[in-house]
Parts: sequence; C-alpha cells; structure tokens
Amino acid sequence: MSDDVLLKATDVVKNYASRRRVKGLRTLNTAVNGVSLEVTRGETLGIVGESGCGKSTLARCLVQLLPVTSGSVQFNGVELTTLSRRQLRPHRRQMQLVFQDPYASLNPRRTVGDIVADPMRINKIGSDAEISSRVRTLFETVGLDPSSLRRYPHEFSGGQRQRIGIARSLSLNPSLVVADEPVSALDVSVQAQVLNLMTDLQDEFKLTYLFIAHDLGVVRHVSDRVGVMYLGEIVELGAAEALYERPLHPYTEALLSVVPELNDTDAPRRERIIISGDVPDPSDRPTGCSFHPRCPAATDICTTEKPAFVELRPGRFVACHHPRNVDAVALTT
Amino acid sequence: MSLDDHSTDAVLSVRDLTVSFATRQGVVRAVDGLSFDVGAKEVLGIVGESGSGKSVAMYSMLGLVRDANVSISGSVLFEGREILGLSDADMQSVRGGEVGMIFQDPMTALTPVYTVGWQIVEQLRAHNEMTKKAAYERAAELLAEVGIPDPKSRINHYPHEFSGGMRQRVVIAMALSCNPKLLIADEPTTALDVTTQAQILDLMGRLQATHGSSIVIITHDMGVIAEIAHRVVVMYAGRPAEIGPEIDVVRSARHPYTWGLLGAVPRADVKTRRLVTIPGNAVSPLEVPPGCAFAPRCQYRMDICEQRPPLRGAHDHLDACWLSDEQRLAIRSTATVRGES
Repeated sequence: MSDDVLLKATDVVKNYASRRRVKGLRTLNTAVNGVSLEVTRGETLGIVGESGCGKSTLARCLVQLLPVTSGSVQFNGVELTTLSRRQLRPHRRQMQLVFQDPYASLNPRRTVGDIVADPMRINKIGSDAEISSRVRTLFETVGLDPSSLRRYPHEFSGGQRQRIGIARSLSLNPSLVVADEPVSALDVSVQAQVLNLMTDLQDEFKLTYLFIAHDLGVVRHVSDRVGVMYLGEIVELGAAEALYERPLHPYTEALLSVVPELNDTDAPRRERIIISGDVPDPSDRPTGCSFHPRCPAATDICTTEKPAFVELRPGRFVACHHPRNVDAVALTT
Repeated sequence: MSLDDHSTDAVLSVRDLTVSFATRQGVVRAVDGLSFDVGAKEVLGIVGESGSGKSVAMYSMLGLVRDANVSISGSVLFEGREILGLSDADMQSVRGGEVGMIFQDPMTALTPVYTVGWQIVEQLRAHNEMTKKAAYERAAELLAEVGIPDPKSRINHYPHEFSGGMRQRVVIAMALSCNPKLLIADEPTTALDVTTQAQILDLMGRLQATHGSSIVIITHDMGVIAEIAHRVVVMYAGRPAEIGPEIDVVRSARHPYTWGLLGAVPRADVKTRRLVTIPGNAVSPLEVPPGCAFAPRCQYRMDICEQRPPLRGAHDHLDACWLSDEQRLAIRSTATVRGES
C-alpha cells in the first residue's frame, strides 16, 4: 500500500437482518455490498447518493462505528476490522466525525466548552489549563466567540452548532475527518459559510476529508474525487470535474441531468433523463446489475451478469456493461 | 410599476399582507407588507430561507393559521373576491375546491388510518355532488393521471404502502381532484431525492399545462424556482426583497440578498470556486430593524438604509433596496456577484 493512501477499504460488506421473510427465514438487507476505495492523504473524497443508498452505513463501517460483515479496512496501513476496542482507541483519535444534525449530535446538558474539551479529557491529553487554552483556540479557529464557552447548545443557531461539532472533531488533531451530511440541515447562506470554513480548515491543518452528502452541487464543490453510490455499491468513482463533466455510468448521468439548474447563462441545459420507478428493496436486489430495472441503457446481459468495477480510463472507475461518454473520455485523463 | 392597487386580471392578488403574532417577548411580524399577483396559468415561486415567512404567508391567507395571538391584515383577492376574513364554512369551500394544496411531507399530509382512495373520495364528495361509486372511479382516474401504476388496486392501499415519491403523487392527485384554479405547493419536493424530485417537478409541469391551473410554489431552492417558475418573489424577514420574472431575477438580480442567495449555492452544473457568503445569521424576528431588514448583513449598507425601502422598479422587476441603478452596475462590474447576465 502506498504511503499516500490514508484509508483503504477492500470489498466491504455490511448486512442487516431484514424484516422480510422468504419461506419463514429472514432475508438479508445488504446496506453496503462490496465497496472498495482508497482515500489519499490531503484529499477530499466525496460520496454521493440518494437516501438509502448506504452512504452513511459505509462511513460508519469505515471508522469502525459499525462492525463490517466482511471485507477489510486499513487505516495508515493498519487493519482495523480485527482490532479490539482497546486496540482501536489510538487509531480512533486519528479519525473524527462531523454529523448531519447539529441538534442531535451535541449533548444538550453539557456546555459547548465541555463538549469540545471532552475528547481531550477522555484521551488524557494535556493538563486542565492546556485543554482550556486549546478549546479557546479551537473556538476562534471555527469562528466562534470564546466568551460563549459556558453556554449550552440550545443557545446557538444551527450553523453555530455545526461549527461547535467541527471544533470538537478537530480537538484531537485528526488526520481524517468523516463528515456525514454536515450541511444538509442548514439554510443555503449558512451552508456556504460552513463549507468555506471546512475548506479553510483543510488547508490549515492538512486534513483528509471523507465527505458524504446527497446534494450533488455540494459534493462537486468540496471534492477532489467523487464516488457515486447506488443500492449499497459504488457504481462510479473518479476525479470530481471529469466525473461531473462526462459521467460514465448511466445512473450518474441521469442523476446529474435532473439537478435543478440556475439557468443564468445561455448555455443549453443538460438534457434531462428522468429515470422511472423507485430504488429497489435492498433485501430483494435485482439480479445482474442493481440498476438495470431503471436503466435506459440496459440490455439482456445487465439482467444476468453483474458488471465488474473496473478502471476504464486512468483514475475513472465504473461498474457498467454499457458505459456512456467512453469515446469522449480521453485515454490519458 | 408598483404593487399598490389590486391587479384586475390576476387569479390571486395579494396586497400588503401582514401577519403578526403576539408573543411573550413582543410582537413578531412573520409577514410584513407582502404584495404579489399570480396571473392565469402562471407559476409563481416564493423563495426564502427558513423563517422568512414564506409558508406562514400562504397559510394565513387560506385561514390555516389558527392562533389566538395572530393578527392578519391586508387584502387577498382570489378571482376578484376578498378571502381574508371569510367564515370557516366559506373558506372550506375555497380550500380543497378552488384552491388545491400540496404539502412538504406527504406522510403527514395523508392520514395513515384510511386508504388513499378513501381520502380522495372524501375530498371529492365534500366539494361535489357525487355518488360513492362515481367518486371512486374518478379517484382511480386521478391516480392514473399522476402516474401511479395499477391505480384500480392501489386505490385500496394505505399511505405507508407507497414510497415517498408515490405518496407525493397521491397528494397531488388529491390537490387536483376538484380542478382547482390555483395550486399552492409548499416545498413539494424538499423531502424527496433528486431523481424523485425530477419526476414530481416534471409531473407538476405537465399537469399545469393540461389543467391550466396557476401554481404558487414555496421553496428554499433557487434551482427548483429556475426549473419551474415563471416569476419569483424573494422573501427576507417576512418582507419581499425582490419580485420579477424568473429569468431576470436569476440573471440580473437587483437586491444584495438575492446576490448572496444565488452566490451561496454550490453548483452541480459548473465548477464553483469559493462560495459567496452572507455574513451573520438571519435576523431574529423580534429584532427586525425599522429600516431595511437586510441592512445589518449588507455590505453595501448606506445611511438611508435606516429607512425602509419601498418595493419599486421598472416594468415587472421590483426590488426593495435603496441602491441606485448606477451603484448596482458599479457593484456588479467589480464584485464577485453571481446572478448577473
């Protein structure tokens, strides 16, 4: 494994027992179905997908908040899936989370100063005085007034609470920050403030981000590379700009075509591809390619044979029998 | 042009709508002097962030804000008839009959204990003289029209047996059941995924073309506005900041708040560099300044902004801002303001 790779997942699977029964036996809900990816030091890898595609489950599996059913997760070259809780602890410090709901992710009965200090106290890092001075610095770093340390979460707005969550995630100097829908609960003007803050912090602390969101615009904006998930699988992965300009997978293409656009230029709008139907039940996934029942390009082979996830062009991975835009994507990109 | 007098040919004509709530901390003006018209077959978008008063404005004009501490003033003409202050019985014939409503969360808009067919039939029979049998047949037709496969059997299903997108289709079928002249849709796609949102916006566009209803769509998403609306009202702190044709507002926005709103959106269609941010947080409804509500966050603030700017402009593009046309031109030629043509 190259030194540049901070996090490497190989064939990660996460199953849940489903409530659905076939012949009296419970079937399995495969929330994550064989995901492999690498996160390079200093980059932002965005994971985008619709609700229920398994993006949050994947994130929780990668940081070992959920045990994987099978597969391997290596962080800094160390296999995490076989470690005990105690053995995990020193690695956990290095990977921190920012959650979606700034109302649910902060303990309402603790002051925000305590919330940010707790990770350092738990990990016994520094004296009380050192911790208190670090909390003040962190507050300034994320654009909050250190004089508000003794206040409680309910006294802050949604955007300010998300800043507190970010300050907490930075308190242990992590190398990886996993942000699961960090801005989806915020109004657009506040969302822009938090996204800009996250970009600044990445530059300042050389952070690596795994950024999970359903908003295609947000993901394009923050990511260096993007993975697109559908029904528990990454169907396409590539450099953000290349992927958004020339998607290879028909699902990516359809997804991008229906994002409402501000028609503020005379450039023609992308032709909208409205895919019909709903995402299938993950306990009853289609044979062959998971996307074939909704895919405009599907043929017979798609119903029987699962497409392999291959590097079709350098840095451009896709799992599809009939990838789009292949001729337009240069062999050298 | 101004919005002083009622427009005569509008389906809905709102003038100086003000909704205030008496709270323990003082009087909150949730809507403060809102005026707009919705023409025949027109789609009007009302856009604003949370707390801007966009939903409460629509709910209060339909008599859906029932609160002992509320006071509503102004004038709302629906097809030339004043509907503010109508009795409950009169209002009930308007709501669901001539005015259809689509709500954000289709799960809470439908009752979980009855089949969707029962719910559509109830509405049909409340507003029309119909036999049960005819109403069920009409309900099945409506479900087919909104794209629900196998409507004859789906009509007997309960809301939880439908997906989010399909539920929203049921709500749309209900809203359309009495052939309304006006549809009010409050964040109809916010709870939906982007592919489902596309299906629903597409459906609303097609139905609008076939039924010829006017639509008021309330949303926080400028993209949805650009997709479906003909004209836009941008709201801030309960007040209209800018009103105009969609294309003019998106391409040559006039109000600094609209500039910020447009510049803050990370785009999927083009590469965005640093996002434009509006400093600070939305103003507390208890502390709206007497002058321009946006002034405390506005980087182009002037002394005159301590007085409330009138909603004015040329033709049908109005804004409530004291900046002169020359100042706006100068700002937009230098600053990184997106939304310009």
